[in-house]
Amino acid sequence: MAHQPSHHAEIVYELRRLLAQQGVAAEARPLPFGLPAIDGHLPQGGLAGGALHEVVPEARGDIPAAFGFVAATLSRVRPGAPLFLVTSPCGLATFGRPYGHGLNSLGLDPARVIVVAAPNATQALWAMEEALRSAVPAAVAGVIGKLDFRASQRLHIAAGETGRLLLLLRPPGMASVAVTRWRVAAERAARDRFGLIARWRWQLKLERCRNGRPGQWIVEFDHATHHFSLAAALADSTLSRSTVAHARAHAG
Amino acid sequence: MVEAAGGPRIAALNEAAYAEGLAVHDLLADARAKVTTLQVRPADPAADDAALRRLALWATRYTPTVSPWGEQNGADGFFLDVAGASHLFGGEETLLADLINRLDHFGLPARLAIADTAGAAWALARFHPDDVAILPSGQEAEALAPLPVAALRVSPDTSATLRRLGFKRIGSLIDKPRAPFAARFESELLTRLDQALGHAAEPLALIAPPPVYHSLRYLMEPIFSQDAIVAVATRLMKDLVHALVRHGVGARALRLALYRVDGEVTIIDVSLTMPTRDPAHVTRLFDLKLERSTEAVDFGFGFEALGLAATMVEPMEPTQTDLAPAADDHNAEDCAALVDRLQQRLGPRSVRKLAPVASHLPERAEMAVSGLAPVWPVPQATRPLFLLSHAEPADVLALVPEGPPQRFRWRGVMHDVARAQGPERIASEWWRSPQPTRDYYLVEDGGGRRFWLYREGLYERETNAPRWFVQGLFA
Repeated sequence: MAHQPSHHAEIVYELRRLLAQQGVAAEARPLPFGLPAIDGHLPQGGLAGGALHEVVPEARGDIPAAFGFVAATLSRVRPGAPLFLVTSPCGLATFGRPYGHGLNSLGLDPARVIVVAAPNATQALWAMEEALRSAVPAAVAGVIGKLDFRASQRLHIAAGETGRLLLLLRPPGMASVAVTRWRVAAERAARDRFGLIARWRWQLKLERCRNGRPGQWIVEFDHATHHFSLAAALADSTLSRSTVAHARAHAG
Repeated sequence: MVEAAGGPRIAALNEAAYAEGLAVHDLLADARAKVTTLQVRPADPAADDAALRRLALWATRYTPTVSPWGEQNGADGFFLDVAGASHLFGGEETLLADLINRLDHFGLPARLAIADTAGAAWALARFHPDDVAILPSGQEAEALAPLPVAALRVSPDTSATLRRLGFKRIGSLIDKPRAPFAARFESELLTRLDQALGHAAEPLALIAPPPVYHSLRYLMEPIFSQDAIVAVATRLMKDLVHALVRHGVGARALRLALYRVDGEVTIIDVSLTMPTRDPAHVTRLFDLKLERSTEAVDFGFGFEALGLAATMVEPMEPTQTDLAPAADDHNAEDCAALVDRLQQRLGPRSVRKLAPVASHLPERAEMAVSGLAPVWPVPQATRPLFLLSHAEPADVLALVPEGPPQRFRWRGVMHDVARAQGPERIASEWWRSPQPTRDYYLVEDGGGRRFWLYREGLYERETNAPRWFVQGLFA
């Protein structure tokens, strides 16, 4: 390099430029929640692209809530490219099938989603890897029954190669290389003044976050605007702590 | 031996029996009297036909236009259209030599003839003194003239009548006035004569529809591995690409034929979501297909030739390479390629999009489609994220029969209802068999889990004991 970058910003700029030349930066952009309280806990200010993220239900009965969180997150992925949803028979257990009208209600356009119904777990893993490596989908979501450590490594690497976001909904209690793990539980929905459901609500626990900090929130999701927000009624200490921490991080 | 009027007759003979002076169509009783050691088996036309078809399939290694002979041709051979194929072998003589050599290898003595018309070739193969005959163009009349009338592929009755009338050779029929023949015989005779002489066209019933785009490779050594097959398939596809590009089409379906050394033929079909000309993509699909059916493909002594045909093509826009490429188009192509690969391994119905269906009933309101992207309306009513494969009965406690549920038991677990939103009334579709009206409730339990329940039947109008079902789960 001809000149010595003297300034911090200049180094960052140079790195960004080099990364862009690699063709990775554009795709590997993180996917922020749009909530400083949560994004502040994540090292890149959002879900890192080109990485494996896990979503586990608090209990079996929370699988719909966890899947709702996955679908809500997918609906925020840049429009245009298709989204791949790979399911394996044991992943959805006895909850039937993802319902297009339901995805639509949640703000995720079903026309964007290509559903891959794999006959077993092995084929589901293969299908996800194939989809990631092809760089076709903007993001891949998998609903699987089990995942061993080696398989999680393969998938994480495949996601990294093309910079695609990979979300895995799986049962709790298995080791993996995921960069974040979100534990989701159902929460009573936000109601409007007529008592009708206004926004979906979930309990969200960031259990594990590489280079970040764990946290716990109750989030709401607005299907029309694709916006996450923190439940207004929530005045618990986690929120205030994380807000303070976030403010401090930004001040420093 | 076949059953026939007057007793069983001989249908086919081996060489030893010919040597004893027996002939096809002889009565079995006469034959037994002549040759006391005669061994007889009942004829099995179905097995003969299957064997002939297998052999005809094998013969597609020479040219894709192969037509096994039907009943009226004697059902004991096939036509090959070698126009345009013989140069691959260095001429018609070498092609015939190769063919007779290979048939001999299978233990099949054969008689071969090449002529401009199917009829002439048939006649020569049957009645020419040599086993192999090649008739130069335009000499059909001269070559056929000395042959017996049976060489015209007419029915035994017709040829017997002709012989009785003194027409023993084909030459005595050529250039005779046609009207008396037309009056005396079925149209068969004149048609066959015209076909043999090339005055009338003869449509052939081909064993497989002739592909427009076809390429074939013969290998120096038989190949035994999947990798080798895939490598050859890639080269075949590269051969095809030129023709596909020239005609502005891409392949939607491809058929790979593997010709085994011992004459068996394995056919592998793949179909594609979008027309393609990409050898890499096609190769990948064959690779996946072979991987899935490795047990099914018997490598035996190896494959000696491979043929690839585009069995279905569709117009394909030429891709711009140097001008700014449209990113979306590229993505659509890549996406189709990915879907093809997934389908090849997971099965054709495994990769789908969801499309809305105009139906009031939730379970009928969508379907899985492949192909074009469906268009979804702006969501009207709130619908569950999961739909159970069947609505499951639930025990519900409601304060009033037509009111919302208070508690319900589903899958053995009791849920207290904290909030219930509804009812949303969905009547049955009158044009289908009538079903009770459903009242849907979006129900939230104390823990925030959300269920979709419905009550079947209007209280006191359709039923006095409405039943409850859980049909879906909300996020």
